Amino acid sequence: MEFFDNLAIGFGVALTPANLGFAFLGAMVGTLIGVLPGIGPIATIAMLLPLTFHLEPLSGLIMLAGIFYGAQYGGSTTAILVNLPGETSSVMTCIDGHQMARQGRAGVALAVAAISSFFAGCISTALIAGFAPPLAKIGQSFGAPEYFSLMLLGLVAAVVLAHGSILKAVAMIVLGLLVGLVGTDGNTGGTRFTFDIRELIDGIDVATLAIGLFGVGEVISNLSRPEEQRSVIAQKITRLWPTGDDFRRSWRAVLRGTALGSILGVLPGGGATLSSFAAYALEKKVSREPSRFGRGAVEGVAAPESANNAGAQTSFIPMLTLGIPGNAVMALMIGALTIHGIQPGPQIMSERPQLFWGMVASMWVGNLMLVIINLPLIGIWVQLLKVPYRFLYLAILLFCAIGVYTVNNSSAAVLLAAFFGVVGFILMKLDCEPAPMILGFVLGPLMEENLRRAMKIASGDPMIFVQRPISLGLLIAAALLLLIVALPAIRGKREEVFQG
Amino acid sequence: MSDVSRPARPPGWEILARADVLSGLLFIVIAAFGLWASRNYPVGTALRMGTGYMPRLLCWVLLGLGLIVFAQGLRQPAPPLRSSPLGWRAMLSVTMGLVAFGLSIERLGLVLAILLITVIGALATRSLRPMETAIAALALIALSWGVFIAGLGLAIPVWPDW
Repeated sequence: MEFFDNLAIGFGVALTPANLGFAFLGAMVGTLIGVLPGIGPIATIAMLLPLTFHLEPLSGLIMLAGIFYGAQYGGSTTAILVNLPGETSSVMTCIDGHQMARQGRAGVALAVAAISSFFAGCISTALIAGFAPPLAKIGQSFGAPEYFSLMLLGLVAAVVLAHGSILKAVAMIVLGLLVGLVGTDGNTGGTRFTFDIRELIDGIDVATLAIGLFGVGEVISNLSRPEEQRSVIAQKITRLWPTGDDFRRSWRAVLRGTALGSILGVLPGGGATLSSFAAYALEKKVSREPSRFGRGAVEGVAAPESANNAGAQTSFIPMLTLGIPGNAVMALMIGALTIHGIQPGPQIMSERPQLFWGMVASMWVGNLMLVIINLPLIGIWVQLLKVPYRFLYLAILLFCAIGVYTVNNSSAAVLLAAFFGVVGFILMKLDCEPAPMILGFVLGPLMEENLRRAMKIASGDPMIFVQRPISLGLLIAAALLLLIVALPAIRGKREEVFQG
Repeated sequence: MSDVSRPARPPGWEILARADVLSGLLFIVIAAFGLWASRNYPVGTALRMGTGYMPRLLCWVLLGLGLIVFAQGLRQPAPPLRSSPLGWRAMLSVTMGLVAFGLSIERLGLVLAILLITVIGALATRSLRPMETAIAALALIALSWGVFIAGLGLAIPVWPDW
């Protein structure tokens, strides 16, 4: 049984006291930052990257994954207790979760969220362990044309699955591709868009871009709105354990949410946000009493929470096996891997099995940590939510600054992050979602490289992309996706999903 | 960015202040700037792509997209965006705070850089009292020193380099 052998290798390294400690620490700081409203997982990971620098690669990655889950889950706590989504993937949890909290069932809502997430985490970890090896095998047979077509499919999917206007999402990806070009062209040695600024010759670091667009941009954006009165649920949380009725109502929702999230997470451009929106919409559709939704329905918490966690987990699959990030968080993870000297791709599983399987096993460990951290410590998070934003933003701003400075070891990067902060604020104000931009930014150089190689293989004949069967299949899939999204009926559906 | 709308202003300006119209314009401006900046990059051919092949291709695509978004924004009715003094204030002081941190961290060290970023950053909101800012700065200095210097041992200068 290869499956169990692999997991045994993984748990062998993930369960050492040190690595357990790092998983705990990661989940803890991740939750700490994730609980704060208005700071999502992308900014959290980027900001906390320096914490993992001085660790061994595996420990660093385990901690980073813990930070990611913590940030993800922390958003749900905020959603339930304050009715402010900590990030877009917990928007749906707000609707029923906060209603439950107002009915005095905050503890139950938090427990349902934690248990659903944990269940989804267990299933999706098993899925990763099962599907990663065959996928990596396929990946190894890929040449430059296949990679290029796959990334193109990824970008198309990212557009189709993005929030809001499709055209703007395409434009944001193109913008990201352009920003990705800044620096020295590896092939010709020429510099592009560097404007004779020495610090730009090596290009822009993904963490700088992410901290600027998301961290700094969100701080400005939050400050530009008058400070709203946050109503943290004040009564003491007494009852945590759900009733039998809650279990009866939510178990199917958890199963459906996990299934949907696992599938949508693997798709490029998918991941946690889309999964939670889709799961909530599905649950409302299949429910016999749709009118309960929005009024504290426990399934309305269970479905999106299991889905966003499953989606967050399975989005690791294409990143780890093919080296292609499916969403902005994974793009950042690739950046983090590179800092640790690891090139993600199909070879990493065979070359560094301990690292690979250790990381997979640590995903499960991280999910367990979340339950441990969140349920007993809920009182602390409630206290944290009462800290006024005028103090929080100073700390966030400072951590952004220190994060950028230490990742790049350059003060020019801090200035660059300030610039991207303004850009991010303007984009948010104009309803342009900045997440596809990060994806374009990371995929851009990879795509250009593979396009060039493919053209060299084919002596400049673009037909190579349709002559190779896998590449052709991927391109057809991309074309179909574009076609489907252009159909008015589907377009209506897409808008419906995102409106919940 | 956007303009505060006053009743006296002709409707032409209102249209321009819509989110989609402005995004279209933004894309067009960026694309035009990119085309201008890359005017001397060798383009090469599809087989031997030069430095400028990709940038110019992408700029043209962005230009096209910007035009479509712009045109769509003009057609579809949407309320104009309003800029608030709060937004400008936040943008300026946050940016300046970061710039001050970036310029000072290497020469003046962590403690003074944190002091600068908190004091300048605190101007972003009217709700922080001077005393609160001072306490926040001290707390942040202690916290960052504890985490990054004592805890992680990062090589950041702490005090000014005399």
